[in-house]
Amino acid sequence: MGILKQALISCVFVAGVAGASDDVYREYDPLETYEPNVAGDRKHSNTYQYWMDPKNLDWQMAGNPDENWKLNWKFMDPPFNPVVHGGHFAEDRGETLYKKLNTRGRFASCLGATKGNLKGLRASYPRYRAELKRVVGLEEAIEICAKRLGHQLENGSYDNSAVSVYIASRSNGMPIRIDVSKGPMKEAWERGRKLFHTRAGRFNLACSSCHTHQVGLHLRGTVVTTPYGDVAHYPVYRTRYQLQSLHLRFAECNLDTRTQPLRPGSGAYTDLEVFLTGLTNGYPVSVPSERD
Amino acid sequence: MRTAGTLAMLALLLAGTASARADAPPPDAVFDPGAPLKTLAPKVVVNSGKLEWVPFHRDLTSWPTLSHHDKRPTPRPVRATLNGPLDGDAARGRELAMRPDKGYCIACHALPGEEWPGTVGVNLAGYQQHRNADELVFQQIFDARVFNPNTVMPPYGTFGILTEQELRDLVAYLQSLE
Repeated sequence: MGILKQALISCVFVAGVAGASDDVYREYDPLETYEPNVAGDRKHSNTYQYWMDPKNLDWQMAGNPDENWKLNWKFMDPPFNPVVHGGHFAEDRGETLYKKLNTRGRFASCLGATKGNLKGLRASYPRYRAELKRVVGLEEAIEICAKRLGHQLENGSYDNSAVSVYIASRSNGMPIRIDVSKGPMKEAWERGRKLFHTRAGRFNLACSSCHTHQVGLHLRGTVVTTPYGDVAHYPVYRTRYQLQSLHLRFAECNLDTRTQPLRPGSGAYTDLEVFLTGLTNGYPVSVPSERD
Repeated sequence: MRTAGTLAMLALLLAGTASARADAPPPDAVFDPGAPLKTLAPKVVVNSGKLEWVPFHRDLTSWPTLSHHDKRPTPRPVRATLNGPLDGDAARGRELAMRPDKGYCIACHALPGEEWPGTVGVNLAGYQQHRNADELVFQQIFDARVFNPNTVMPPYGTFGILTEQELRDLVAYLQSLE
């Protein structure tokens, strides 16, 4: 009974501080400016020159462990990568699931496809959903729309990501195009940019600690790459994680840097997704893809 | 059991309000409050519409997250004092510098006798030549923010990653590098 009383007291306490105090002391990496276009990397890591044309990457660079990071790992994406891997099986399963969900066309229209046509849909997410009054990523939209039809495709689950890979494959080769210049999308981009520079976790690191200020340097055996152009190949087949959505990648980044991860679809991860998708504007969707 | 059930309901209610206690992890953090190591990691199950969460080998719930609902502050920079003789063990220090769960200095710094070092931090081979005072080296590892607020070096002392004796061992190791 004592514990219950304590819980009730803390409940009242919560109500008291809800919405209060943005004046909590938090630390930030120096806040930089970014272009919401993949070509902005010319002023960032300047590796864009090596991976800007995904069809014509340099084979020799791809095979050289001292140089392959300059290709931003794009040599593991189609059309350059001809290997059949787990991402292809995910795409097949995603197609089956999608067709089952969309027998009456309601799933496609809920996702925002015009006349059931999925072409270009991936390239225009995340987007503002008026009925939800917030910005959502494609995987969260898949979760919500499947739920409306009575199916569970939890954000981050294999089946959710498989449907996402299938939908993305209908936009393969089309440049990512989201508008972060106004309204709620601009607000999300700005929050995402600030989060990218927000220090967190037991090591007190921000994303930008490495991906803005240490690009090209070694962390043990790996080399830090640019944040530009990085979301075009998600969800991605990972040898260790089967199929990984962008938000699950954020969770992995968090765990690697000793930071408590968040739920996929959380406001912070969605804002980060908007920011990084902005940095990928103009780069073609490339699925199914693999990474180590 | 009834109390536990009521508590679980209360927890759900709290999660629904999307606000957080000033000293607790935010509602969108995924952790098991009853486990010895609370932090959970996502586990993707092939051909399933559900995402599983499994225990992670470190408890990370005590430090600020990226959540918008996290009301916990970053621990402020701390000026440390090194009292008495250094009394550090260089051999233990070297081990700590290589261990991923301890200093893991090698992730960012080059150290003698080890392949694949990091290059984010300065090369520490031959560190002795700088003739830095033990107090200064101790402070740099304890909390480097005192010297440079924009440093990427984790505050090993302030954030409780290393104990005082472990810090002394690391200082002894660095000061022994010829």
